[in-house]
Amino acid sequence: MERSPVVFDQNFSGAAGDFAALLRHKRLLPVPLIGAIPQPPSTQTTWQPTESTTILAFKFSGGVLVAGDRRATAGNTVVYDRADKVLEIDRHSIMAIAGVPATAWEMARVLEHSFQYFRRTQLQEMSVDGKVRALSKLLRDNFGFVMQGVGIVVPIFATYDSQVKPEARLYFYDAMGAQFEATDFAATGSGSPAVRGILYYENNWGPKPLHKLNEQEAVSIALRALDTAAESDTATAGVDRTGKIYPLIKIVSRHGITTLPQSKIAGVFKETVA
Amino acid sequence: MIEEPYRWVEAIANRREYIEAQLAPGSPIVAIGYRDGILFLTIGKARQKIFEIYDRIAMGAIGHPGDIERLRMAAIELASTEGFTRSAADVSLRRLVHYSLSPVMKSAFEQVYGAPYLARMLFAEVGESPEEDLFLRVEYDGEIATNGAVYGQVRHGFAVLSGTAHSRELMEEFLNAQHAPDATFDATVKSALDAWSIGQMASQAGDTTELPDRGAVLQHRQGQLANSGIEAAVLERDTTTAIRYRSLSDTVLRNLSNE
Repeated sequence: MERSPVVFDQNFSGAAGDFAALLRHKRLLPVPLIGAIPQPPSTQTTWQPTESTTILAFKFSGGVLVAGDRRATAGNTVVYDRADKVLEIDRHSIMAIAGVPATAWEMARVLEHSFQYFRRTQLQEMSVDGKVRALSKLLRDNFGFVMQGVGIVVPIFATYDSQVKPEARLYFYDAMGAQFEATDFAATGSGSPAVRGILYYENNWGPKPLHKLNEQEAVSIALRALDTAAESDTATAGVDRTGKIYPLIKIVSRHGITTLPQSKIAGVFKETVA
Repeated sequence: MIEEPYRWVEAIANRREYIEAQLAPGSPIVAIGYRDGILFLTIGKARQKIFEIYDRIAMGAIGHPGDIERLRMAAIELASTEGFTRSAADVSLRRLVHYSLSPVMKSAFEQVYGAPYLARMLFAEVGESPEEDLFLRVEYDGEIATNGAVYGQVRHGFAVLSGTAHSRELMEEFLNAQHAPDATFDATVKSALDAWSIGQMASQAGDTTELPDRGAVLQHRQGQLANSGIEAAVLERDTTTAIRYRSLSDTVLRNLSNE
């Protein structure tokens, strides 16, 4: 039986404005490894992928604060101390990454272009739910690589949705692409257990809950949390006191994204953390 | 029919005549470079005619909506994949039009058994200074005109698109006298509205070679605005943001035009 031609309409189907699909069609993005065979961990490890850790995000009075330490590691080796794990995707969305930077940066790039491509071709902004789902799909497509022991990425996605209340939206993901909406805070990466402990404690028994903090207080807690994570986790840098390298902090609010200047973070650090 | 060269030439001439007739009633589109960017403006009743292509590139088009849509999608696809695989700085309007769109439009036009693209397009890419702005007009047969003039002539900081060559020439004549690269936004909106009216009046009136007087232009504009909307967008010169395209609302522009 003939199917209705509407089914094939490129401009109103699930495929409309799908930039990742376009890239795969042009062979500019690897096709997902489906049914990849899980490799048992080799005892004689010769190659370690570069990984990076700890990221956190929480809602405060001025929007969503997203912070990440700067260390990238491969096994026991520190590869880089100025890694950027908090990435701007569009005017109101931030993706923070824990895991393999090579995969994560590529995902961020695909995501950034996907949102623009959708708006330009379809002449409307992608909904927040659509954006959240887009990242989920990229993670799911990447899972074959994760099973092969390379390319694990566990991101946090923070955005501002002026259409819906509450306006600040915060999501974290697992490596398979499941998305979880966080009400107050989220943290992923190897140093996250410590960070979650601190944020949970602050939110429940601190002087005031996280969502009532002002910017200065929020930055202070983010710095303390990352520094605590670094205390026990070698893959997290926290604050490098001698090298004067501070975590990267961005805030997303109704007005867009602000990147806090290092001097400002240094000021808060000196006053309330050091 | 087209085994003989003469028949082919005849077929192409017929096709050209047909397309020109189809495009003739199209509402003109004006793109003017000014101090802070490039303004795209038209007045219309129905569908959108000004579009964002990439960070620094916008497009205006007249013709069949289906054909415009196919070309617009192609332009966005090409620009986006280039911007993704290399960088946004590698996306160039010159390469997009000269290497990709123009050859495709030329082949479609000359293959007389297939359908040509029924569209005339105007592209602009904003530069760091008005001298670096690029305007390209692409015809249904793949012909390209740069910065409001064909190659070898003086570059202008503006470009226009209209249904007829006659109307386009009058608009260019008007803007050539009016245009100042360091003009303000308000002044640019006014010249754009005047240029649009001149173009529209010329395509309706036929073969006048004189520019209409100021009173007639204003009167025509008032009449048109009574039952149509202003569609406009700017490509901002501001280098602090990557995405320079911003569409403008009809009400804001209407207030400006009343002053």
